[in-house]
Amino acid sequence: MPLRFPGALPEHPTEAQLADECRRGNLRAFEMLYQQHASRMKSLAFRMLGSRADAEDAVQEAFLKVHKAVRGFEGQSSLATWVYRILLNCCYDALRRRERLAETAPARDFPAPGKLPLKLALERALAMLNDRQRIVFLMFEVEGLKHSEIAAILEVPEGTCRSWLFEAKSQLKRILTETAR
Amino acid sequence: MKFECGDLEQALRTPELMPEAREHLRFCAECRREYQLWLQISSTARSLHEEWETPELWGRIRSTIEAGIQPAPPVWKRWPVLAIAAAILLALIATPLLWQRAHTPASHAQPGANGDDDFLTEQALAEVEKNEAAYRQSIDKLSRLAEAKLKKPASPYVANEQEKLLAIDSAIDETRANVKLNRFNVHLQTTLADLYREKQQTLEELLSREQKN
Repeated sequence: MPLRFPGALPEHPTEAQLADECRRGNLRAFEMLYQQHASRMKSLAFRMLGSRADAEDAVQEAFLKVHKAVRGFEGQSSLATWVYRILLNCCYDALRRRERLAETAPARDFPAPGKLPLKLALERALAMLNDRQRIVFLMFEVEGLKHSEIAAILEVPEGTCRSWLFEAKSQLKRILTETAR
Repeated sequence: MKFECGDLEQALRTPELMPEAREHLRFCAECRREYQLWLQISSTARSLHEEWETPELWGRIRSTIEAGIQPAPPVWKRWPVLAIAAAILLALIATPLLWQRAHTPASHAQPGANGDDDFLTEQALAEVEKNEAAYRQSIDKLSRLAEAKLKKPASPYVANEQEKLLAIDSAIDETRANVKLNRFNVHLQTTLADLYREKQQTLEELLSREQKN
């Protein structure tokens, strides 16, 4: 894709304009996309991968994949949805690589959740959830995405997304209650 | 329905049951603790959002993108390749012609006399040189207009155009030097004209963009 320098990109482009300019290889448009989502993407990746460095790598990889594939982006979902979907795939890839290399997640030697302040206990309990429960919880409760957005990212019905969130919270409540006893 | 402790989970899933659940919570300390924990999970979750500065991350992404994309160099950057190609072509065309001229009476050895358009006649050359001078003058005018913007590039776009113009100028100088050595060569004259056209377009685009901004 040819590189383009800042062209006629409005100060506050619509998502469609941003997607168009990204498709044309306008790096300024990519930078705007990055500025809009990077903070939340880093946090989400951090919660999935457990280290800031790994999270930054995942975000970088996601943006490079977005740049490579954006010409084929047909706008069937929103650009942001698509970018988050790519990020999640990058995170899963990183986790798989880690498994292959028999690495463990960055060491976090927590005591049992019950003896901890709630924030730390919750972090610990989150690690005990299954993948779908954890990702929905992280996106909804931690990062503040809407059910409709999460459903689009995960390509599941909105009702399923709500149900997974409920399962996640029930499971967390159970873990935190049991370990507190 | 009589609300019991085991119904709390169902009530959390079904908002319609919440009024009854609230009534139950007033008297049941254990359910109250569970319900509070339910609410605390959500409120505490917000604090799990992790924010940290990564000023270098976009730069890393950008430079990886730029390094991964090597656009085909524009014609003004391919000048040495073109020059070599032109020289080879010229040699291929000129060798039989020179050989023919060496074996032809002098009166027939005028450039272009054999219908060979790769060599210019004196008259055509004078015309070309006159046009070139006029073209150069008009481009010089454009250059003067753009000079102030190029001296202090205000954006990456202008800096890029400045670099491009420097490369074009250097290619023009080189081609003109070659033209001086071989004034009748059509290919060199065409290359020179292409370079002037490239410079003119670059300057016009720069000025029109800067006017819009």
